[in-house]
Amino acid sequence: MSSHAAAGTIDHHHDASTSTGIPNKKLLWWAFLASDCMFFGTLISTHLVYRLNPPPGNAEPTKVFNIELTSFSTFILLMSSLLMALAVNAIQRGQVKSMRTMLLGTMFFGCIFLGGQVFEFSHFVHVKKMTLSNSLFGSTFYTLTGTHGTHVAIGVLLLGLMYVRSFKPAHSHGTFGDLGLTLFHVLAVCTAMGLSFILIIPGFLDMLESGSGLGAFFSHHTMPLIGLAIAGAVLGWFAKTSGNSDFDQRNAIDVEAIGLYWHFVDIVWIVIFTAVYLIEYL
Amino acid sequence: MSAPAASDHSPAHGHAEPSKLHIYVQIAMVLGVITGFEIVLVYLPLTRWIVFTALAILSTVKFMFVIFYFMHLRWDKVFCTILFFIGLVLAGGTMWALLHLFGSEASKPLSSAALEIARVALT
Repeated sequence: MSSHAAAGTIDHHHDASTSTGIPNKKLLWWAFLASDCMFFGTLISTHLVYRLNPPPGNAEPTKVFNIELTSFSTFILLMSSLLMALAVNAIQRGQVKSMRTMLLGTMFFGCIFLGGQVFEFSHFVHVKKMTLSNSLFGSTFYTLTGTHGTHVAIGVLLLGLMYVRSFKPAHSHGTFGDLGLTLFHVLAVCTAMGLSFILIIPGFLDMLESGSGLGAFFSHHTMPLIGLAIAGAVLGWFAKTSGNSDFDQRNAIDVEAIGLYWHFVDIVWIVIFTAVYLIEYL
Repeated sequence: MSAPAASDHSPAHGHAEPSKLHIYVQIAMVLGVITGFEIVLVYLPLTRWIVFTALAILSTVKFMFVIFYFMHLRWDKVFCTILFFIGLVLAGGTMWALLHLFGSEASKPLSSAALEIARVALT
Protein backbone atom coordinates (compact mmCIF):
# COMPACT_ATOMS: atom_id res chain seq x y z
CA MET A 1 0.00 0.00 0.00
CA SER A 2 1.26 3.44 -0.82
CA SER A 3 2.08 6.00 1.81
CA HIS A 4 -1.01 7.94 0.79
CA ALA A 5 -3.18 4.95 1.37
CA ALA A 6 -1.62 4.38 4.73
CA ALA A 7 -2.14 7.97 5.73
CA GLY A 8 -5.64 7.90 4.28
CA THR A 9 -5.51 11.58 3.40
CA ILE A 10 -7.27 11.45 0.04
CA ASP A 11 -10.98 12.12 -0.16
CA HIS A 12 -12.14 10.47 -3.39
CA HIS A 13 -15.55 12.13 -3.45
CA HIS A 14 -14.65 15.75 -2.79
CA ASP A 15 -11.93 18.05 -4.10
CA ALA A 16 -11.39 21.21 -2.09
CA SER A 17 -9.27 22.75 -4.86
CA THR A 18 -12.23 23.20 -7.25
CA SER A 19 -15.12 25.63 -6.85
CA THR A 20 -17.69 22.83 -7.19
CA GLY A 21 -15.92 20.50 -4.79
CA ILE A 22 -15.93 17.88 -7.54
CA PRO A 23 -12.69 16.78 -9.25
CA ASN A 24 -12.58 18.39 -12.71
CA LYS A 25 -11.99 15.06 -14.48
CA LYS A 26 -15.07 13.59 -12.88
CA LEU A 27 -17.17 16.64 -13.77
CA LEU A 28 -16.00 16.46 -17.38
CA TRP A 29 -16.91 12.78 -17.64
CA TRP A 30 -20.36 13.31 -16.14
CA ALA A 31 -21.02 16.15 -18.61
CA PHE A 32 -19.89 13.93 -21.50
CA LEU A 33 -22.04 11.02 -20.33
CA ALA A 34 -25.06 13.33 -20.04
CA SER A 35 -24.56 14.33 -23.68
CA ASP A 36 -24.06 10.70 -24.68
CA CYS A 37 -27.45 9.92 -23.10
CA MET A 38 -29.06 12.16 -25.71
CA PHE A 39 -27.04 10.50 -28.48
CA PHE A 40 -28.25 7.03 -27.52
CA GLY A 41 -31.73 8.38 -26.80
CA THR A 42 -32.13 9.42 -30.43
CA LEU A 43 -30.72 6.14 -31.75
CA ILE A 44 -33.07 4.07 -29.58
CA SER A 45 -36.01 6.32 -30.54
CA THR A 46 -35.24 5.91 -34.25
CA HIS A 47 -35.21 2.14 -33.88
CA LEU A 48 -38.48 2.12 -31.94
CA VAL A 49 -40.22 4.58 -34.30
CA TYR A 50 -39.56 2.28 -37.25
CA ARG A 51 -40.65 -0.72 -35.20
CA LEU A 52 -43.99 1.03 -34.56
CA ASN A 53 -44.67 1.25 -38.29
CA PRO A 54 -42.69 -1.53 -39.97
CA PRO A 55 -42.69 -1.40 -43.78
CA PRO A 56 -43.77 -4.48 -45.77
CA GLY A 57 -41.04 -7.09 -46.11
CA ASN A 58 -39.27 -6.02 -42.93
CA ALA A 59 -37.18 -8.64 -41.08
CA GLU A 60 -38.99 -10.54 -38.31
CA PRO A 61 -36.96 -9.82 -35.12
CA THR A 62 -37.96 -12.93 -33.14
CA LYS A 63 -36.88 -15.13 -36.07
CA VAL A 64 -33.54 -13.32 -36.27
CA PHE A 65 -32.59 -12.89 -32.60
CA ASN A 66 -30.78 -15.45 -30.48
CA ILE A 67 -32.12 -14.44 -27.05
CA GLU A 68 -29.96 -16.98 -25.18
CA LEU A 69 -26.75 -15.45 -26.51
CA THR A 70 -27.95 -11.90 -25.90
CA SER A 71 -28.98 -12.77 -22.32
CA PHE A 72 -25.55 -14.29 -21.74
CA SER A 73 -23.89 -11.14 -23.14
CA THR A 74 -26.04 -8.97 -20.89
CA PHE A 75 -25.03 -10.98 -17.83
CA ILE A 76 -21.34 -10.76 -18.83
CA LEU A 77 -21.55 -6.97 -19.22
CA LEU A 78 -23.21 -6.64 -15.80
CA MET A 79 -20.45 -8.72 -14.22
CA SER A 80 -17.81 -6.62 -16.00
CA SER A 81 -19.36 -3.62 -14.26
CA LEU A 82 -18.87 -5.39 -10.93
CA LEU A 83 -15.18 -5.98 -11.73
CA MET A 84 -14.79 -2.34 -12.77
CA ALA A 85 -16.33 -1.18 -9.49
CA LEU A 86 -13.94 -3.48 -7.63
CA ALA A 87 -10.97 -2.06 -9.61
CA VAL A 88 -11.92 1.47 -8.51
CA ASN A 89 -12.43 0.24 -4.95
CA ALA A 90 -8.98 -1.40 -4.99
CA ILE A 91 -7.07 1.66 -6.22
CA GLN A 92 -8.92 3.92 -3.78
CA ARG A 93 -7.44 1.69 -1.09
CA GLY A 94 -3.99 1.81 -2.72
CA GLN A 95 -4.04 -1.83 -3.87
CA VAL A 96 -2.42 -1.51 -7.31
CA LYS A 97 -1.98 -5.23 -8.03
CA SER A 98 -5.58 -5.97 -7.16
CA MET A 99 -6.68 -3.10 -9.40
CA ARG A 100 -4.65 -4.51 -12.31
CA THR A 101 -6.28 -7.93 -11.88
CA MET A 102 -9.74 -6.38 -11.85
CA LEU A 103 -8.95 -4.24 -14.90
CA LEU A 104 -7.78 -7.33 -16.80
CA GLY A 105 -10.98 -9.12 -15.75
CA THR A 106 -13.11 -6.20 -16.93
CA MET A 107 -11.29 -6.14 -20.28
CA PHE A 108 -11.72 -9.91 -20.64
CA PHE A 109 -15.46 -9.69 -19.97
CA GLY A 110 -15.69 -6.74 -22.34
CA CYS A 111 -14.01 -8.87 -25.01
CA ILE A 112 -16.49 -11.70 -24.41
CA PHE A 113 -19.34 -9.22 -24.93
CA LEU A 114 -17.73 -7.86 -28.11
CA GLY A 115 -16.97 -11.38 -29.35
CA GLY A 116 -20.63 -12.25 -28.81
CA GLN A 117 -21.62 -9.21 -30.84
CA VAL A 118 -19.20 -10.07 -33.66
CA PHE A 119 -20.65 -13.60 -33.73
CA GLU A 120 -24.22 -12.25 -33.60
CA PHE A 121 -23.69 -9.79 -36.47
CA SER A 122 -21.91 -12.42 -38.55
CA HIS A 123 -24.72 -14.93 -37.90
CA PHE A 124 -27.41 -12.38 -38.78
CA VAL A 125 -25.72 -11.44 -42.06
CA HIS A 126 -24.66 -14.88 -43.28
CA VAL A 127 -27.38 -17.16 -41.89
CA LYS A 128 -30.42 -14.90 -41.37
CA LYS A 129 -29.56 -12.78 -44.43
CA MET A 130 -30.25 -9.51 -42.61
CA THR A 131 -27.82 -6.84 -43.74
CA LEU A 132 -27.46 -3.14 -43.02
CA SER A 133 -29.27 -2.21 -46.22
CA ASN A 134 -31.80 -4.92 -47.08
CA SER A 135 -34.33 -4.04 -44.37
CA LEU A 136 -35.20 -1.03 -42.26
CA PHE A 137 -35.03 -3.17 -39.14
CA GLY A 138 -31.47 -4.20 -40.06
CA SER A 139 -30.46 -0.57 -40.65
CA THR A 140 -31.66 0.72 -37.28
CA PHE A 141 -30.62 -2.41 -35.38
CA TYR A 142 -27.04 -2.48 -36.68
CA THR A 143 -26.66 1.28 -36.26
CA LEU A 144 -27.84 1.21 -32.66
CA THR A 145 -26.10 -1.94 -31.42
CA GLY A 146 -23.02 -1.23 -33.56
CA THR A 147 -22.67 2.22 -31.98
CA HIS A 148 -22.96 0.65 -28.56
CA GLY A 149 -20.40 -2.01 -29.49
CA THR A 150 -18.03 0.73 -30.65
CA HIS A 151 -18.42 2.38 -27.25
CA VAL A 152 -17.57 -0.93 -25.57
CA ALA A 153 -14.51 -1.36 -27.81
CA ILE A 154 -13.33 2.17 -26.94
CA GLY A 155 -13.90 1.28 -23.27
CA VAL A 156 -11.73 -1.83 -23.59
CA LEU A 157 -9.00 0.26 -25.22
CA LEU A 158 -9.17 2.88 -22.45
CA LEU A 159 -8.98 0.15 -19.81
CA GLY A 160 -5.97 -1.35 -21.60
CA LEU A 161 -4.22 2.03 -21.65
CA MET A 162 -4.97 2.52 -17.94
CA TYR A 163 -3.60 -0.97 -17.23
CA VAL A 164 -0.34 -0.13 -19.04
CA ARG A 165 -0.22 3.28 -17.33
CA SER A 166 -0.23 1.56 -13.95
CA PHE A 167 3.21 0.09 -14.78
CA LYS A 168 4.94 3.44 -15.37
CA PRO A 169 8.23 3.21 -13.43
CA ALA A 170 8.56 5.42 -10.38
CA HIS A 171 11.87 6.84 -11.66
CA SER A 172 11.19 7.06 -15.37
CA HIS A 173 13.43 9.46 -17.30
CA GLY A 174 11.24 9.51 -20.38
CA THR A 175 13.92 7.99 -22.61
CA PHE A 176 13.22 6.37 -25.97
CA GLY A 177 13.81 3.01 -24.31
CA ASP A 178 11.02 3.64 -21.77
CA LEU A 179 8.71 4.89 -24.49
CA GLY A 180 9.46 1.85 -26.67
CA LEU A 181 8.71 -0.53 -23.80
CA THR A 182 5.43 1.26 -23.07
CA LEU A 183 4.39 1.08 -26.72
CA PHE A 184 5.33 -2.61 -26.79
CA HIS A 185 3.18 -3.13 -23.69
CA VAL A 186 0.23 -1.33 -25.31
CA LEU A 187 0.72 -3.41 -28.48
CA ALA A 188 0.61 -6.64 -26.44
CA VAL A 189 -2.62 -5.58 -24.70
CA CYS A 190 -4.25 -4.55 -28.00
CA THR A 191 -3.15 -7.77 -29.71
CA ALA A 192 -4.53 -9.95 -26.91
CA MET A 193 -7.86 -8.10 -26.81
CA GLY A 194 -8.22 -7.75 -30.58
CA LEU A 195 -7.54 -11.42 -31.29
CA SER A 196 -9.92 -12.41 -28.50
CA PHE A 197 -12.99 -10.53 -29.62
CA ILE A 198 -12.50 -10.54 -33.38
CA LEU A 199 -11.48 -14.16 -33.94
CA ILE A 200 -11.20 -16.44 -30.92
CA ILE A 201 -14.45 -15.79 -29.00
CA PRO A 202 -16.67 -15.69 -32.13
CA GLY A 203 -14.93 -18.89 -33.28
CA PHE A 204 -15.60 -20.52 -29.91
CA LEU A 205 -19.29 -19.52 -30.02
CA ASP A 206 -19.49 -20.84 -33.58
CA MET A 207 -18.05 -24.15 -32.36
CA LEU A 208 -20.66 -24.31 -29.57
CA GLU A 209 -23.48 -23.64 -31.99
CA SER A 210 -22.38 -26.00 -34.73
CA GLY A 211 -21.16 -28.67 -32.26
CA SER A 212 -18.00 -29.18 -34.30
CA GLY A 213 -15.85 -29.88 -31.23
CA LEU A 214 -12.71 -28.42 -29.69
CA GLY A 215 -10.42 -30.15 -32.20
CA ALA A 216 -11.97 -28.25 -35.10
CA PHE A 217 -11.85 -25.02 -33.10
CA PHE A 218 -8.12 -25.39 -32.39
CA SER A 219 -7.31 -26.36 -35.96
CA HIS A 220 -9.22 -23.38 -37.40
CA HIS A 221 -7.83 -20.87 -34.91
CA THR A 222 -4.24 -22.04 -34.47
CA MET A 223 -2.60 -18.76 -35.48
CA PRO A 224 -4.88 -16.48 -33.39
CA LEU A 225 -4.37 -18.75 -30.38
CA ILE A 226 -0.59 -18.68 -30.83
CA GLY A 227 -0.78 -14.89 -31.13
CA LEU A 228 -2.86 -14.71 -27.95
CA ALA A 229 -0.39 -16.97 -26.11
CA ILE A 230 2.55 -14.76 -27.17
CA ALA A 231 0.72 -11.57 -26.18
CA GLY A 232 -0.24 -13.19 -22.85
CA ALA A 233 3.39 -14.19 -22.23
CA VAL A 234 4.54 -10.62 -22.94
CA LEU A 235 1.93 -9.24 -20.51
CA GLY A 236 3.02 -11.79 -17.91
CA TRP A 237 6.66 -10.77 -18.38
CA PHE A 238 5.80 -7.09 -17.89
CA ALA A 239 3.77 -7.91 -14.77
CA LYS A 240 6.60 -9.99 -13.30
CA THR A 241 9.54 -7.71 -14.06
CA SER A 242 7.95 -4.39 -13.11
CA GLY A 243 9.35 -2.66 -10.07
CA ASN A 244 7.87 0.23 -8.12
CA SER A 245 5.44 2.13 -10.27
CA ASP A 246 4.38 5.75 -10.33
CA PHE A 247 0.76 4.78 -9.75
CA ASP A 248 -1.06 4.79 -6.45
CA GLN A 249 -4.10 6.07 -4.63
CA ARG A 250 -3.61 9.52 -6.14
CA ASN A 251 -4.50 8.07 -9.56
CA ALA A 252 -7.83 6.70 -8.32
CA ILE A 253 -9.69 9.54 -10.06
CA ASP A 254 -8.25 8.42 -13.43
CA VAL A 255 -9.45 4.86 -12.91
CA GLU A 256 -12.79 6.10 -11.63
CA ALA A 257 -13.24 8.29 -14.73
CA ILE A 258 -12.73 5.30 -17.05
CA GLY A 259 -15.03 3.35 -14.73
CA LEU A 260 -17.80 5.92 -15.21
CA TYR A 261 -17.57 5.42 -18.96
CA TRP A 262 -17.60 1.64 -18.57
CA HIS A 263 -20.67 1.66 -16.32
CA PHE A 264 -22.36 4.01 -18.78
CA VAL A 265 -22.06 1.50 -21.64
CA ASP A 266 -23.53 -1.03 -19.22
CA ILE A 267 -26.61 1.11 -18.45
CA VAL A 268 -27.11 1.84 -22.14
CA TRP A 269 -27.14 -1.92 -22.75
CA ILE A 270 -29.68 -2.38 -19.95
CA VAL A 271 -32.03 -0.11 -21.94
CA ILE A 272 -31.19 -1.66 -25.32
CA PHE A 273 -31.68 -5.21 -24.01
CA THR A 274 -35.21 -4.36 -22.91
CA ALA A 275 -36.24 -1.91 -25.65
CA VAL A 276 -34.75 -3.74 -28.62
CA TYR A 277 -34.66 -7.42 -27.66
CA LEU A 278 -37.10 -8.37 -24.88
CA ILE A 279 -40.04 -6.26 -26.07
CA GLU A 280 -40.05 -8.15 -29.38
CA TYR A 281 -41.07 -11.32 -27.52
CA LEU A 282 -44.25 -9.84 -26.04
CA MET B 1 -28.62 -4.65 1.82
CA SER B 2 -26.16 -3.24 4.26
CA ALA B 3 -25.66 0.47 4.56
CA PRO B 4 -22.55 1.83 2.87
CA ALA B 5 -19.59 2.02 5.16
CA ALA B 6 -18.29 5.14 3.44
CA SER B 7 -20.41 7.44 5.52
CA ASP B 8 -18.91 6.11 8.73
CA HIS B 9 -15.27 6.67 7.84
CA SER B 10 -14.44 9.97 6.25
CA PRO B 11 -10.75 10.59 5.49
CA ALA B 12 -10.92 13.53 7.84
CA HIS B 13 -10.89 10.99 10.67
CA GLY B 14 -7.62 9.55 9.36
CA HIS B 15 -8.98 6.32 7.82
CA ALA B 16 -8.25 4.90 4.38
CA GLU B 17 -11.17 4.52 1.94
CA PRO B 18 -13.30 1.68 3.35
CA SER B 19 -13.96 -1.30 1.12
CA LYS B 20 -17.35 -1.40 -0.61
CA LEU B 21 -16.72 -4.92 -1.90
CA HIS B 22 -19.71 -6.49 -0.17
CA ILE B 23 -22.10 -3.82 -1.40
CA TYR B 24 -20.86 -4.22 -4.97
CA VAL B 25 -21.12 -8.01 -4.92
CA GLN B 26 -24.64 -7.86 -3.46
CA ILE B 27 -25.73 -5.37 -6.10
CA ALA B 28 -24.22 -7.47 -8.90
CA MET B 29 -26.17 -10.48 -7.61
CA VAL B 30 -29.38 -8.44 -7.54
CA LEU B 31 -28.72 -7.21 -11.11
CA GLY B 32 -28.11 -10.79 -12.30
CA VAL B 33 -31.32 -12.03 -10.67
CA ILE B 34 -33.36 -9.16 -12.15
CA THR B 35 -31.96 -9.90 -15.63
CA GLY B 36 -32.90 -13.57 -15.26
CA PHE B 37 -36.39 -12.60 -14.11
CA GLU B 38 -36.81 -10.27 -17.09
CA ILE B 39 -36.02 -13.10 -19.50
CA VAL B 40 -38.50 -15.44 -17.79
CA LEU B 41 -41.11 -12.70 -17.67
CA VAL B 42 -41.46 -12.34 -21.46
CA TYR B 43 -42.41 -16.02 -21.74
CA LEU B 44 -45.05 -15.92 -18.99
CA PRO B 45 -48.69 -15.99 -20.16
CA LEU B 46 -49.50 -12.52 -18.81
CA THR B 47 -51.26 -9.55 -20.35
CA ARG B 48 -48.97 -7.60 -22.61
CA TRP B 49 -49.20 -4.30 -20.75
CA ILE B 50 -48.40 -5.97 -17.41
CA VAL B 51 -45.22 -7.51 -18.81
CA PHE B 52 -44.30 -4.26 -20.54
CA THR B 53 -44.74 -2.26 -17.32
CA ALA B 54 -42.82 -4.83 -15.30
CA LEU B 55 -39.93 -4.77 -17.81
CA ALA B 56 -39.83 -0.97 -17.73
CA ILE B 57 -39.75 -0.94 -13.92
CA LEU B 58 -37.11 -3.68 -13.67
CA SER B 59 -34.87 -1.95 -16.22
CA THR B 60 -35.21 1.31 -14.33
CA VAL B 61 -34.28 -0.42 -11.07
CA LYS B 62 -31.16 -1.92 -12.70
CA PHE B 63 -30.29 1.45 -14.22
CA MET B 64 -30.60 3.22 -10.87
CA PHE B 65 -28.57 0.59 -9.01
CA VAL B 66 -25.70 0.97 -11.48
CA ILE B 67 -25.62 4.77 -11.53
CA PHE B 68 -26.06 5.27 -7.78
CA TYR B 69 -23.78 2.49 -6.52
CA PHE B 70 -21.33 1.40 -9.24
CA MET B 71 -20.97 4.97 -10.54
CA HIS B 72 -20.79 6.34 -6.97
CA LEU B 73 -23.54 8.95 -7.34
CA ARG B 74 -24.74 7.92 -3.90
CA TRP B 75 -21.48 9.09 -2.36
CA ASP B 76 -20.62 11.98 -4.71
CA LYS B 77 -21.79 15.59 -4.65
CA VAL B 78 -25.40 15.99 -5.70
CA PHE B 79 -24.34 18.23 -8.59
CA CYS B 80 -23.05 15.14 -10.46
CA THR B 81 -26.53 13.61 -10.16
CA ILE B 82 -28.18 16.82 -11.36
CA LEU B 83 -25.78 17.10 -14.32
CA PHE B 84 -26.38 13.53 -15.44
CA PHE B 85 -30.13 13.75 -14.97
CA ILE B 86 -30.27 16.87 -17.16
CA GLY B 87 -28.98 14.73 -20.03
CA LEU B 88 -31.20 11.83 -19.04
CA VAL B 89 -34.37 13.94 -18.88
CA LEU B 90 -33.59 15.59 -22.22
CA ALA B 91 -32.98 12.17 -23.79
CA GLY B 92 -36.12 10.72 -22.22
CA GLY B 93 -38.19 13.74 -23.31
CA THR B 94 -36.90 13.44 -26.87
CA MET B 95 -37.75 9.73 -26.93
CA TRP B 96 -41.22 10.36 -25.53
CA ALA B 97 -41.89 13.14 -28.06
CA LEU B 98 -40.65 11.13 -31.05
CA LEU B 99 -42.59 8.01 -30.09
CA HIS B 100 -45.81 9.99 -29.61
CA LEU B 101 -45.28 11.94 -32.81
CA PHE B 102 -44.65 8.89 -34.98
CA GLY B 103 -47.01 6.65 -33.04
CA SER B 104 -50.04 8.82 -33.77
CA GLU B 105 -52.65 7.75 -36.30
CA ALA B 106 -51.73 10.52 -38.73
CA SER B 107 -48.11 9.33 -38.83
CA LYS B 108 -48.90 5.79 -39.91
CA PRO B 109 -47.66 5.06 -43.44
CA LEU B 110 -50.33 4.77 -46.14
CA SER B 111 -51.14 1.38 -47.59
CA SER B 112 -50.34 0.77 -51.27
CA ALA B 113 -54.00 1.26 -52.26
CA ALA B 114 -54.35 4.49 -50.29
CA LEU B 115 -51.09 5.73 -51.75
CA GLU B 116 -52.37 5.06 -55.28
CA ILE B 117 -55.61 6.93 -54.58
CA ALA B 118 -53.60 9.87 -53.24
CA ARG B 119 -51.41 9.86 -56.38
CA VAL B 120 -54.45 9.84 -58.66
CA ALA B 121 -56.06 12.66 -56.66
CA LEU B 122 -52.93 14.76 -56.99
CA THR B 123 -52.66 14.24 -60.75
